[in-house]
Parts: sequence; structure tokens; C-alpha cells
Amino acid sequence: MDRRKFLKQSSLASSLFFVPSFVKAFEQVASASLGYKRLVIVQLSGGNDGLNTIVPFRNDIYYRERPAIAIPKTEVLKLNDEVGLNPSLTPLKRLYDEGYLSIINNVGYPNPVRSHFRSMDIWQTATDSDKFSQSGWLGRYLDNYGKSPYSAIEVDESLSLAMKGETVNAIATKDPRAFHNLSRDPYFKNIQKHKNDAHLSEHNLGYLYKSMIDAHSSAKYIYETSKTVSTTQEYPKNKFGQQLKTTAKFINSGLDTKVFYTSLNGFDTHANQLNTQKRLLKQYADGIEAFVQDLKANGTFKDTLVLTFSEFGRRVKQNASVGTDHGTANNVFIIGENLKKKGFYNNMANLSNLDDNGDLKFEIDFRTIYATVLDKWLEVDDEKVLNKSFSQLDFI
Amino acid sequence: MKQEDIKHLYWRVGFGILPSELNRLSKKSKKEVVNELFNSSKGITPLKVDTSEIRDAFSEMMGDKLDAKTRMKVQKISRKKQIELNVSWVDRLANSNEILREKMTLFWANHFVCEDNFINYIQKFNNTLRKHALGNFRDFVNAISKEAAMTKYLNTKQNRKTKPNENFARELMELFTLGEGHYTEQDIKESAKAFTGYSHNLRGEFVFRKRAHDYGDKTFFGRTGNFNGEDIVDIILEQKQCATYICEKLYRYFVNETLNKSHVKDMAEVFYKGYDINNLMRFVFMSDWFYDKENIGNKIKSPIEFLVGMKTVVPTNFKKPQQLIYIQRLLGQQLLDPPNVAGWKGGKNWIDSNTIALRLKLPSLLLNNAYISKSLAGQIDAQMDKKKEMFKKTYGKRFSTETDWNYFKARFNDVNIDDIGNYILACPISNEAGAYLNNLEKVSKQEYCVQLMSLPEYQMC
Repeated sequence: MDRRKFLKQSSLASSLFFVPSFVKAFEQVASASLGYKRLVIVQLSGGNDGLNTIVPFRNDIYYRERPAIAIPKTEVLKLNDEVGLNPSLTPLKRLYDEGYLSIINNVGYPNPVRSHFRSMDIWQTATDSDKFSQSGWLGRYLDNYGKSPYSAIEVDESLSLAMKGETVNAIATKDPRAFHNLSRDPYFKNIQKHKNDAHLSEHNLGYLYKSMIDAHSSAKYIYETSKTVSTTQEYPKNKFGQQLKTTAKFINSGLDTKVFYTSLNGFDTHANQLNTQKRLLKQYADGIEAFVQDLKANGTFKDTLVLTFSEFGRRVKQNASVGTDHGTANNVFIIGENLKKKGFYNNMANLSNLDDNGDLKFEIDFRTIYATVLDKWLEVDDEKVLNKSFSQLDFI
Repeated sequence: MKQEDIKHLYWRVGFGILPSELNRLSKKSKKEVVNELFNSSKGITPLKVDTSEIRDAFSEMMGDKLDAKTRMKVQKISRKKQIELNVSWVDRLANSNEILREKMTLFWANHFVCEDNFINYIQKFNNTLRKHALGNFRDFVNAISKEAAMTKYLNTKQNRKTKPNENFARELMELFTLGEGHYTEQDIKESAKAFTGYSHNLRGEFVFRKRAHDYGDKTFFGRTGNFNGEDIVDIILEQKQCATYICEKLYRYFVNETLNKSHVKDMAEVFYKGYDINNLMRFVFMSDWFYDKENIGNKIKSPIEFLVGMKTVVPTNFKKPQQLIYIQRLLGQQLLDPPNVAGWKGGKNWIDSNTIALRLKLPSLLLNNAYISKSLAGQIDAQMDKKKEMFKKTYGKRFSTETDWNYFKARFNDVNIDDIGNYILACPISNEAGAYLNNLEKVSKQEYCVQLMSLPEYQMC
């Protein structure tokens, strides 16, 4: 048992055995001063083309299968003798050089599904590809370990399935002021006055009252806590940049939130892929670099881990419209300060060993990444959240 | 029939009831009221949006094969038309005379869950739900299994003798008929073979591809034979569990989220004899237990029930249809866009911090320029007009709705202002909220209606 877990558990024990309050207070301070770790998810929606993101610039098959859309060797941002980044990822290259990036290749799951909705669903619920779930993996984290709805925040207007639990849902807000305004009408405060707490969760109406009270206090808490900080960091002026700016604001203001969820859309590049993907990857990399700088300036980067994924990669062979069709395995990026495995976690896919559709065969189940993050970063029982035991990786 | 019972019935089979209707029905017996409900749902009015643009796009196409350019064009039109279909579905729910059929359609849409990005197929699917909503469950399941949108959604189209795809077979049993744990993996494998060759043509008509079908023997639920898809459905329906599973789901939707085992058992007995949905629902609405106190006003409205309910009291149109879709998304239920084949979980799951905050604020936002009157009893509301005007100026564009308050005024003309709550709310107001409301001036029927709709109680049905 490490020191942190020991402290947490002993403070729980102390509250059970009526240890004098000053001892308890000391332990709480100790636990808080250790800081707590936050997870930021970045979802690249639409199926980012992993092969044109992390480019195998010495691979003949790559150039043979993609005559019109392969990234020329001369343009690739070389990471080593074999592999490099898409030229629009210069900021990500800088993070790589500083040792803040770990690239996990060939991430997928058995019996891959090539439908956006379904595959995104699988990534968000962390179920087998032939099972359906009405709760997401982070929602189940909330069910088991969240202290309040704002323990997890999606920096958007509505919640993804990933953030919905069996009993607890996360909060979605991209604008804490608007969320606060929605609930600040004194009318609502007056109807909940003197509400007898004992009845609040007994039946459905009680549940609504309880949810209302929670929502209004969460909205107030998020708004009033986050407005205390302002940033000088410049962010790209696009939706993703603003999402990250808000996320950094939440983190730097000390908001008691463990998980943040953000997303960047538009990666479904069936036609004329090159420019679209370049533009999106640039948005991604510019945003992420600004985010990392903002956190570093505020001393919060060391306690933040960023996980970037997409619902699937794309077919190795280009299609007839100078784009690519839906594929399978893809790369996942882990960004953080103290990574155990910096740079490449594993080798690139073997392009001469594809499945019947001409897609990559996955090597790492994405749920082993989730399990690792849950256990080693958020320090909770991953099996409880994922409803299954997965072997773990060694990147953090 | 007692007014309380009629109201309860209409909250569940519809979206509430207006004063004149309630008065009219309260002079009738329970049997007459229920008969009228079923009689008025005998007809089937398909929901249709104008898809001539799609037809034109296809007719410009060279040859039979769908080329990339036509595909893109059709997809673009489809996206636009999906919004139209969504909006007209909401209108239909609020305005139809076939109340029960429409509510059942809404129920089945979250049972036989499907989505498709091609408007013709999803519209056809939606009307198949409507057609069978009160019909025979066996015909229903078979019709669904042959819908173009379904063969696409659950990959029956890709299900061939040489390369079986089990997706449809699995969900048929897990979600559509039996429920998890009432079949084996082997049953799935074998029944998948029976559905090989199910496909459709470009017009969305069912096509049985003989060459893709597996004519070999299949062993399913202990029986062996050269079964086809319909045989499999027959064998499934022979299982009493199928009747029980459907009745449980209907009970949760129409009666109570907490099951009463003996009521469900009685329902299943009725349903198992012939799988007639009409008979089953009549049994439910004629039963005494449906009107038990514990079943009244205890359900959390779905977002659609909430939105449509408001619309039946104060007719509202969105000048920009996209805004209605946007609100559905924020509330967590966008029609025609289910989260996955398991559908929306419903009940308490509709509610989280975001949705409850929005639900409480939405009636005033949509109907009353965000204003909820808080003037104390005996005072006039001096701020009202100024505040409403200010909101209109600042946020008017974001909530661009046309509301017909005259409709409300006419319907509630003969209702005493103190009694409005009887029609707006399905459950009693909690003591604390009631005490606060009593302290307030009832400025007008409109303002009082907005106050009532802004209570958590309004979320119940």
C-alpha cells in the first residue's frame, strides 16, 4: 500500500472510530496537500486516421496503399528512424520531445464494429462489442467513487453516455455562468426552502427535489469557484480551444473535480481527407499545448493526465474519393508530466498483416488503458468500474 | 368515471387532459371512457414528410447503382428531413385524436430501438411501429425483422450463410422478446442462421436473398428443423417468458416503475393468449389496480412527455425547428436518435443536474420570456412587463417561439384560477412549495400556470 492510499484509508478508519477531531483534521490536510489527480479525456469524434497522424514514413505498404493521401517523407515530423508525426502536429512534437507524451499504438477491441455510433458507444461504455450498456465507464466511476455530481464534468452542453452512471450522472457545462443563471431564479430557492431532507430520496418526487437542490448548489459552486481565476494563457479561438481553456480554469481554481471530458469533432474523412485532417490536428495540437502551458504555469500539470482517443482508426487503403473509410485499431495519446513510458509505448502496426477488410489488427484492448488509469491514476478499483478484470499496462 | 381516474388515465395514455374533455368524459362510465379511447385509436394515420427531393435525386441517378454523388446528395437531404420528421412527430403527439396509438408508438420506438440516417427508411420504420402499435405482437416482431432500417441497424443485411452475423438474433431475444438470461449463446448462433438472407432493396422493401439463406437444420430451444425467421419468432412466442417480458416493460411505462408481480402475471396471462396488444392494454386500463393511489402521479415524465405536455396546454411552435431538436438533446431524449439499441433507460435516469435545472426553467423560458412571477399576495407585479421585454431583447433569438396563450385562456376560461393546478399537475403539491405559492399573488391565470409548470411536481405524470 502506498502512502497516499494509506492516508486515505486511515482517515476513513479514524472517522469510524471517533478519533479526536484534531487528528482527523491533520489527516485531511495531509491528504489534501498531496494534491489529487485529475483525468482529462479528449475524444476525437468521427474516427481519426491514425496512420496519417503517426506516420510510418519508411513503410512501402503505407505509400503503396495511399498514393494520393500519404504524407511525404520530407514533410513528416520525424520522431525516430521509422515514424513521425503529421506536419500539423508541431506543438505535439514539442511535448514529445519534453517527455510528456506516450503513444500507444494498435488500440482497439475484439470483433470491431465500424459504425461510428456503435463503436463510440463501445469506447464510452467499455463493454464487449456484442453487449450494450446504459451506463458509461466514467459514470460508473461516479457511481462508486464520486462524492458529488461535479466530481466529473463534461465541458460541453450535454452529457455523453461515458459520463452517465447507473445512479449518478456527471455535470455538463461549457459555460458555468449560464448554468448558474439557469438555476438562480429565487423562485426555485423558495420552493425548496424547509424541504424536509428525510423525504427527499424516498420517491420520485423527492428525488426531483433532491436533484434540484444538488443541481443548484453544484451550479453555484462551479461558477463561484471557477470565476476566482483568470488566465493569461492564449488559446486557439475555436470550440476545442475554448473547451480546454474552461477545463484549465476549472482545474486551476481548485475545483474538486476528478474527471473532465472534452471532444473535437469532424474526423470522418471519407473525402478529400488531407486538408480536413490537417486543420483538425492543428486545432488539437495547438489547444493541447496551450492547455499544458496553462497548467504548468499554475503548478497543476503534474497532477493532470490527458487521454486522447477516437472511436476507430481508418482503413489502410485510401478510397476513391481521396479519403479513407472506417477502420479499426488506432493510436491513443497519453499526456502527462511523469510518464513511466515516454514516447512510444509499443510498435506500430504491421501493415502486411491486416484483417479481411484490410484493417489493422488490434494489439491492446482499450479497456486495459482504462483499467490502468483507474487503478494507477485515480486509485480506485478498476474491476468495480469496468465490471471485469483487465491486465494493466505500464505507462504511468 | 371519477375525474381523478380519468386524469390519471389521460396522463398515461396521452399527455394530460384539458378541462372541457375532462368534464365531458366524467359523465361516462369507465367502460365507455376506455371504449372511446380504443375506438378513437382504431385508425392509423401515417406520419409523413415530403420526400420528393429524395425521389428526384434518385431519378437523376444514372443506372441502378447508387453512385457517390447521389449518395452524398441524398444524405444531405436526409439530414434536413430527419429534423422535419422529428418536428412533425412532436406535433402529432400533441395534436392527434389517435391518442393511445401515438403513445404506444412512442413506447415501441424505445422498445424496437432503431436508427437510420436515410429518411425514407426511418420514416417507414416509424410508421410500421404506428401500424402495429395496438396490433398483434407476432406480426409486429416479424414486420420489424423485415424493416430496411432494422436490417441495416442490426446487420441482418450482412447475415449470410457463409458468414453469419448474430447481431439481430441476439437483440431479438435480449431486448425485443425475452430479456437477458432466457436463452443460450447456442440459441443465438442457431437462430442467426434462420435470419440469413434478410435484406432490402433501394426502395426499402423487404428482399429475401435465397442464395444467402442457410437452409440447413437449426436447433433452437431444443427443437430441430429447417427453421426460417418466422419459425424462430413462433418458437420465441411460445415461451411464456416473452409475454412476461413485454408486460413488465409495458407495466413500467404505463403503470409503475416498480413492478407488482401479481399484476404483471395477470397481464401476461391475458397477453399469452394470442399476443393481442389491444386486448392487453384494454385489460390494463379496465383493471382496478391501474387506478390505485400508488400508481397515480408517481412517474417522472420523459423529456418528450414533458415537452408535448406543455404544448397541449399552451401551443408552442419553434420558428427554427433546429431549436426544438437542440432542446430535446439537452434534455436527453432526441427523437429518432436513441443512444444505442438498448434505448433510453428512463425513470430517474432522465434526471441529472443539467436536465433538472433546464426542466424547471424551460416552461418560463419557452412560454413566458423566462419570467416567473414572485409578487407577494396583495401586491401588483410591477416588474413583469419590463423584465419580459428585457429578456426578449437579450435572448429573444435563442428562444424564438410562437406561443398561443389565447388557446390556453379559452380552454381555462371557466376554470377558477385556484383550480388550475388540478389540470396542470398530476400529483399534489408538496407542503413547502404549496405554502410558498399561497404566499404569492395570483397575478393572472397565465402567470399562475407558469408558476405551476416551474415546480418539480410538473415533472411527474
